[in-house]
Amino acid sequence: MKKTPRKQLSMSKREALYGYLFISPWLIGFILFTIGPMLASLYFSFTDYNVVDSPTWVGLANYSKIFSGVPEAIRTLSSEPLGDPLFWKSLQVTLYFAMLALPLGLIVSFFLALLLNQKIPGVNLWRTVYFLPSVIAGVAVTILWVRIFSPRVGILNPILEKFGIQGPGWLSSPDWAVPALVIMSLWGIGGGMIIYLAGLQGVPTDLYDASKVDGANLVQRFRFVTLPMMTPVIFYELVLSLIATFQYFTEAYVASGGTGGPVRSTLFYNLYLYQNAFKYFDMGYASTMAWILFVIVLLLTLLVFRSSEYWVHYEGQLRGRG
Amino acid sequence: MKRLILILNLVLIATMVIGACSKPTTEVGSPEAPAPTEAVATEEPAATEAPATGKVKVTIFVGMGTGTDPDQIDAQMVLQDKFNSTHDNIEVEFLIVPHEEAGTRFLAMVSGGTAPELVGPNGVETSATYFDVWADITPYIEAENFDTSDFYGPAVELNTYPDKNTGLPLGLYPSFIFYNKDLFDAAGLPYPTHDFNDKTWNMDKLREYAMLLTLDENYNNATSPDFDPTKIVQWGYDDSWEGMRGALGMWGAENIGRPTISDYKTAVANSPEWVYGLNWISNGIWNDHFIQDAAAQADRDAIANDPFGFGAIAMFYSYTWFFAEGLVELPFEYDIAPFPYNQKGERISRIDADNFTISAGSANQDAAWEVMKWLTDPEQIIDVCLIYGCVPARKSVADEFRTVLEERWPGLDYDVVFNSIDYLDNPNHESYIPDWSRIEEALNNSLSLIYTGENKDAQNVLDQVNTEIQTILDEYWAGQ
Amino acid sequence: MASITSPINNKSRKPGDPNIFQKLAYGIKGQELLIKLVTTFILAVGAVLILTPFVFMISTSLKDQSQLRSDPLSIIPRRPTTVEVNGKQEPLYKVNLDGEVNQMALIKKIPGKKGQFVDPANPGQIYELLITDQKPIYHVEIHWENFKKALTSVPFDRYFINTMLVVTLSMLGMLTSCTLVAYGFSRFRAPGLNILFLVMIATIMLPSQVRLIPVYVMFQKIGWVDTLLPLIIPAFFANPYDVFLLRQFFMTIPLELDDAAKIDGANPLQTLMYVVLPQARPAIVAVAIFHFLFAWNDFYEPLIFLHSRENWTLAVGLQTFDALYSVNTHLIMAASLVMIIPPVLLFFFSQRIFTQGVVFTGIKG
Repeated sequence: MKKTPRKQLSMSKREALYGYLFISPWLIGFILFTIGPMLASLYFSFTDYNVVDSPTWVGLANYSKIFSGVPEAIRTLSSEPLGDPLFWKSLQVTLYFAMLALPLGLIVSFFLALLLNQKIPGVNLWRTVYFLPSVIAGVAVTILWVRIFSPRVGILNPILEKFGIQGPGWLSSPDWAVPALVIMSLWGIGGGMIIYLAGLQGVPTDLYDASKVDGANLVQRFRFVTLPMMTPVIFYELVLSLIATFQYFTEAYVASGGTGGPVRSTLFYNLYLYQNAFKYFDMGYASTMAWILFVIVLLLTLLVFRSSEYWVHYEGQLRGRG
Repeated sequence: MKRLILILNLVLIATMVIGACSKPTTEVGSPEAPAPTEAVATEEPAATEAPATGKVKVTIFVGMGTGTDPDQIDAQMVLQDKFNSTHDNIEVEFLIVPHEEAGTRFLAMVSGGTAPELVGPNGVETSATYFDVWADITPYIEAENFDTSDFYGPAVELNTYPDKNTGLPLGLYPSFIFYNKDLFDAAGLPYPTHDFNDKTWNMDKLREYAMLLTLDENYNNATSPDFDPTKIVQWGYDDSWEGMRGALGMWGAENIGRPTISDYKTAVANSPEWVYGLNWISNGIWNDHFIQDAAAQADRDAIANDPFGFGAIAMFYSYTWFFAEGLVELPFEYDIAPFPYNQKGERISRIDADNFTISAGSANQDAAWEVMKWLTDPEQIIDVCLIYGCVPARKSVADEFRTVLEERWPGLDYDVVFNSIDYLDNPNHESYIPDWSRIEEALNNSLSLIYTGENKDAQNVLDQVNTEIQTILDEYWAGQ
Repeated sequence: MASITSPINNKSRKPGDPNIFQKLAYGIKGQELLIKLVTTFILAVGAVLILTPFVFMISTSLKDQSQLRSDPLSIIPRRPTTVEVNGKQEPLYKVNLDGEVNQMALIKKIPGKKGQFVDPANPGQIYELLITDQKPIYHVEIHWENFKKALTSVPFDRYFINTMLVVTLSMLGMLTSCTLVAYGFSRFRAPGLNILFLVMIATIMLPSQVRLIPVYVMFQKIGWVDTLLPLIIPAFFANPYDVFLLRQFFMTIPLELDDAAKIDGANPLQTLMYVVLPQARPAIVAVAIFHFLFAWNDFYEPLIFLHSRENWTLAVGLQTFDALYSVNTHLIMAASLVMIIPPVLLFFFSQRIFTQGVVFTGIKG
């Protein structure tokens, strides 16, 4: 009699123990490699630190510089009163890019995965073709596309001209630089496509068979079998794409020669951060920017996580998790 | 099985801990190898450990400027061997880092306590941006009464600041106009004069020539009423590789290429001369069309390494460092001419200058000084300068170097090269100002307003950036 | 493989069955064929879009600097044919002269869009003609040696070994640790586990630039700088991206088999290895491919941590061509093309695992 209650306790305790045991590699690595530098950078955000000399404590000075003048700026609709207009400019550029690239990337790669999931002749070859661009080193890709986007000697505008469209200056034009980068990023969606493919492969065939027996047509099979079973993967892609898009850096850096030009139209948040850290020797300010971005992305991600209860369906979900 | 995997992880952690106590090796598989000397990292970098040969190690960090080409890497290895085989007490190692990441790596090394002893070749820009990191070599010069008279005076001045001398001059890069003879021939124009005293060769004349050398696809030049600015195939003049400070220094403002006055506290980016100059450029792009706009530049950069090799720009304003990378198998005839006189009747011909600098936090600064002297010694300086493409800063080797130049790049008027040195810009367009990079970014952003056509009003553009610069300066001084 | 169509099967056709046209028009099989055709068509159009820059890349890699400058858009690398006239090489044109087409050399450009043309055999006779009316002659000139040059001007063989070391060892570490950690996050209830999961995801929200210096200093202090260790060892401690993905996949696998295994007396590790992992194979493969790609192309961290050039990886070596004053586009393209071969091969041959779908029987009910 006494044994049963003890067994009850030890089972859930044992489960908890196993849980922690299995995640211990990450936990240990986190403590060893990650948390130190993260806390260090948090500390730097409250300092004036030029990397060469030791940091000097300045409290909230960096943060107040960023947020000063915001109410007046909103009121007068001008950037004059802002403590750091470039901070807000870089945020705006990043949001503009995200609004374009995020939905497009998610939808196109999902659609592509659907197509490539078909049993058509040579499907392996097709998949490799679409996968190809995502394999090429990012720097080479950017150099290639800078050439492609050249207003008159690239290949894009001459092709557009054949359709009667006057192509813009793309990367050399302030208005079209970000859309150009969006197009370039779409070229490499083969990467995301693989994740969706793996997800589609994981949908059990008997579900489709059962639905066909029930008389479901193509669209219905998609809506009621494919889509729900894919939501865990879609969730993954959404969260990671969100995080990655806000940290977009390398391509903008190479394409603009590190300047964020023309006329700061490609001054992404991370690029401005990088400039502060390594060009202006203002690591303190860069750390401040990093942690503000952290908070923004964290809030957005939490939003997605919260919403996942409503639309993400796990076949193997545990109830009542700790 | 689970035990196996957990044990594996534990073994790895143990390995890591043990590895932390051992000397770094390049072999992944042996982190437990016991260290020959005590090497748990302290503030003293490994350079002070005496390797088997007992030499003091000097690291030369290359990558901030030129020196990272595969050919240059090989040549620097040869130089390294030459030094090491002739010196018993010092060992030199070139650490060549790809240019894009050189700055980051340098900072990482400095903050990690392993600052490289020597850094270079540094342009004035690099010296200025990392100004606080360099050691002052004045004590070394004074201690041994080092004779700097053989160096060109202006070159030494470029390195001399109120609180420090950043390094011995290595090389100079005077500037002049590269012109495409074939294009001049096709237009039926005489070549620009090589006579330094001919005052009719001024910016107005340059403009006149440039317009005649700017052609649309029907071969109409820019002075013709039939000229079609949407179909330009050839341009008369280019200075697009230069930032705002360089582009406007030539117009004779009181502070030449520096956007502040000498107290470093007041911004003067909108001086009348700078406005005049920027207007000249803006007109050149948008009214007279002899300068490429941003879109045309993008086209050009896609297919050519440089504006001159592009073949469709008649006059290109650049420096001697352009010889090494730009004058390679060009399919047309070319020569160089002095930069014209400006609207005030003065000639200001920009200069770039290279030196090596010593990191103030490095371990073996005395040895670094020895290496610095060796590199700039008359015996080595020509070889070193040939690697990096600069004119040696020593007057005594000028003739010998000229012979080498004539061999390497025949057919150029080398009087132009050596005479241009006298007209260098001081304050230099890359000289030190507080928060150098931030101000540079603001200025170049403004320049891109002109080149993209977002704002063609020079006065307006310069007024705005002047306010920006003043804010940056005020913040800088408030934090001091 | 799981798909939304099934293969067409003609073997069981009987009299009275609809014929092929009727099938196309009405039947389920017809619908499936239509889907396949439309799919193939869309893919083909997309493939053209995807491959065009790629073709451009190949074409660029086979040109030399002067070809890039003078003839950027031609797909096939070519060069203007020249002929020697009076001791100089002059470009050859197909010239229209009095109705006859001859080959002549252009020796000088003169004002008025004209040029002086001569017959190389008879250089004394100069014809002044409009340049725009004549056609330049090209010959194909492909620079295969760009590839050799790109691969030999830096010690790519050494870099290849370094890269393979880093990639394979880190992949080993990643696969081991990430499956364990993902299993922990997906199959167990424990207080605080959900929060830790969020913390793990949060670690990638901080831009890595600001951690660079502290991380460098840390590795400096333990003596790992200028070794391959900073690139390999952290992989053994899992990373958020792969853990997150595997966790998502594990959570799509129903618990019934787990429970069955538990009843049979299996411990959690055995359940992981014999029940969960076999079902998650596509995800494991995807994660492995991704990691390979990432480690293969990663240059930022290796650049900071690797001191001596002998320790460089391929991606870092590629950077050498992007020097301050001379961007050797043709060499960058050539080197990049060679670098994509291993990942592409890996992907192509790993597709077998992608196509072996998951077949369940007898789970429900």
